[in-house]
Amino acid sequence: MTPYLALLLVPMPAMGAFLLLGLGPAQFERRAIQTIALLGAVAPAVVMLPLGAYCLTGTCDGVQPIFDLTVGDAVVALALMLDPLSAIVGVTVTLIGACVIGYSIDYMAKADVADLRRYFALMNLFLASMLCMVLAGDSIVFFLGWELMGLCSFFLIAYHVTSPRAIAAGRKAFVITRVADAFLLAGLLLLFIEAGNVRLDVLIPAGIATEEVRRGLIAFLLLGGALGKSAQLPFHTWLPSAMAGPTPVSALLHSATMVAAGAYLLARFAPIMESVPLAMAVTAVMGAATALFGAASAVFQKDIKRLLAYSSISQIGFMLLALGLGQPEVAIAHFVVHAIFKSLLFLAAGDITQIARGTTDISAMRGALWSRPLAYLAFVAGAASLAGIPLITAGWFSKEAILSAAWLAGPFGVVLWGVALASAVLTATYAFRPVFTGLTRIGRPKASLGGLFTNLPILFLAAGTFAVAPLVEPIMNFLGAEMPHGPKAVELVGAAAPFIGLGLAAALTFVPTLSMRVARARRMRSGIRIDSIYQVIFVQPFVGLVRWLNGEKGGIADPVGTLPILGAERLAAAVIRPFAHDPVDRGWAGFSAGMVRAWGAGRRMQSGRVRDYVLALGLGLAAFLLIAWGTTWR
Amino acid sequence: MTSGFLIAALVLATGLFLVGLFGLLIRRGVLFQIVSLEVMLTGPALAFVAAGAHHGDPGGQGMFVFVLVLAASEVALGLALYLRLSRHADTTDSDTVRELRQ
Repeated sequence: MTPYLALLLVPMPAMGAFLLLGLGPAQFERRAIQTIALLGAVAPAVVMLPLGAYCLTGTCDGVQPIFDLTVGDAVVALALMLDPLSAIVGVTVTLIGACVIGYSIDYMAKADVADLRRYFALMNLFLASMLCMVLAGDSIVFFLGWELMGLCSFFLIAYHVTSPRAIAAGRKAFVITRVADAFLLAGLLLLFIEAGNVRLDVLIPAGIATEEVRRGLIAFLLLGGALGKSAQLPFHTWLPSAMAGPTPVSALLHSATMVAAGAYLLARFAPIMESVPLAMAVTAVMGAATALFGAASAVFQKDIKRLLAYSSISQIGFMLLALGLGQPEVAIAHFVVHAIFKSLLFLAAGDITQIARGTTDISAMRGALWSRPLAYLAFVAGAASLAGIPLITAGWFSKEAILSAAWLAGPFGVVLWGVALASAVLTATYAFRPVFTGLTRIGRPKASLGGLFTNLPILFLAAGTFAVAPLVEPIMNFLGAEMPHGPKAVELVGAAAPFIGLGLAAALTFVPTLSMRVARARRMRSGIRIDSIYQVIFVQPFVGLVRWLNGEKGGIADPVGTLPILGAERLAAAVIRPFAHDPVDRGWAGFSAGMVRAWGAGRRMQSGRVRDYVLALGLGLAAFLLIAWGTTWR
Repeated sequence: MTSGFLIAALVLATGLFLVGLFGLLIRRGVLFQIVSLEVMLTGPALAFVAAGAHHGDPGGQGMFVFVLVLAASEVALGLALYLRLSRHADTTDSDTVRELRQ
């Protein structure tokens, strides 16, 4: 009995809630569905927190095997693993998951019972699969969690099944992440071929020991998987459209699960990545480019959920930048901080916009300070952390660490530092645009508060954004790294960045000519139209091909299937017709007519009763056994 | 694992198989026929595990997993047929669907 046995209990309640709600045959009342979902979401946190505490006191490096299967030389050993990385990420995921599912109880209260059941079943499965991935001690459980998450995100993004837009968004997310998943699968399989074992503690050293070309291939395949799941530059288009799902789904998808999975993957396989300098450089460059691109696009968004989506893209870009600089510990610290403030932003924005009759336009924030004070103040706390207001918010500490790490990485790093600094300025700009919009007062609004399940998670997360601030450095130390500190001047410039952004945000909100210009910047709002480019390059040719194959464009329907048959018919007419009506043919026809009579006789044997057939089968088997026995008797 | 144990296990497996076959023959309800099929499947599965254990070869357990998968897919098909039968023809008697032969 080791304490690591408790690891098995972490994903289990959420999985149980999914099984009960998703597959259970019983009918449930609304209250029962909510209770089951809440229990399934809170119980993992209850199990995970003591495990995290145990990790702080004792040795934190345990593997709990689940199932071993030895096939020849290869070993399939499923296991869960607890180490500082999985402990920190696991605790974050369970807490955020509990908060978001708790919040959903109020948010989804108006949905009808069948929809509610589907929603909570999928949310719990989502949480369980992320936990499986985080705690995985082998590549199979890891990949299983990774894929289940992709599936759940498809179902949850397409949650409003009556809306074609939602279905299209879900399909887009699924297809794009699937392309990236193929990279990950290829990378993991190559690693498995090298190691002959699926356990991560064997896979990673085996990966490092591989010869250079293969190691590079593996590293780039893993990077491809991470870029897709984390919605980084070439693959980022699915995330802004994923806003078609309910807001709590976005809160879970953007903060602790799904998009963070790519960063976690790279942190988990960091030793392999670090042995391929080129892959590290590409990671850092992609991260910095995505951070700048996401932040710049977010500034021009009109819809608050799309703004937050681009913000997630940009923030994960920061994490990838840290990973590319060889600082996975800094990336994970930023992951924890980002998970807290991003879920807070989504939950608070969801609460405010739900009051504003469902529109998620930034103008729905107008007057929020007076009409929904608690959620608005929580949103301000989240925005402050996102912008990185110095000293009080957690966001500042983790972002400062990333900036310092970039500065300390040599001349190449200084360029990245410049890009990251520009992104940090823009981050503060887009973070505070909705905040300033909320200050404008309209009419004489009456302040109102949401229910208990709305406010409790929001308050908890809002407190978290400040409470984690002094914990950022201990988290990095716990993961086994020192917090990087650049020169004082660099840190001061980093601290000034949010305030410049703040000023820009105020200018964009309150100066009418500037806000008009932002409203008109269609090109930037669509993320420099990368989506449309993909539509033209990938989607339209494919749709055209499918329509051609369908015969919708004229010509023959299904040419691939039809043409060989037409050819075969021609051939038969040319070769067989000359030989018709000769003796051989007549003999053949007589034979086939005889077959018809034989069929008539045979048909009488077919009673149509299952039991008769079973008897015949049984007797046949007995006869065979007798023959076998008789021929092998000595 | 002595060979006496192996023979005992094989006899038990044969017995399970025959019990299932007997049930399949005398029952007319589709549901009980599916249950009998499951009993029949356990016979060979037990034989695989026993033989694997006797020879110290994990292949026997592997085959058992295959049999489990086979049984699960077979039950899924069988239950679907059962549901269609009971809803469409309002009966669960396998003999009444004789008309299917035409």
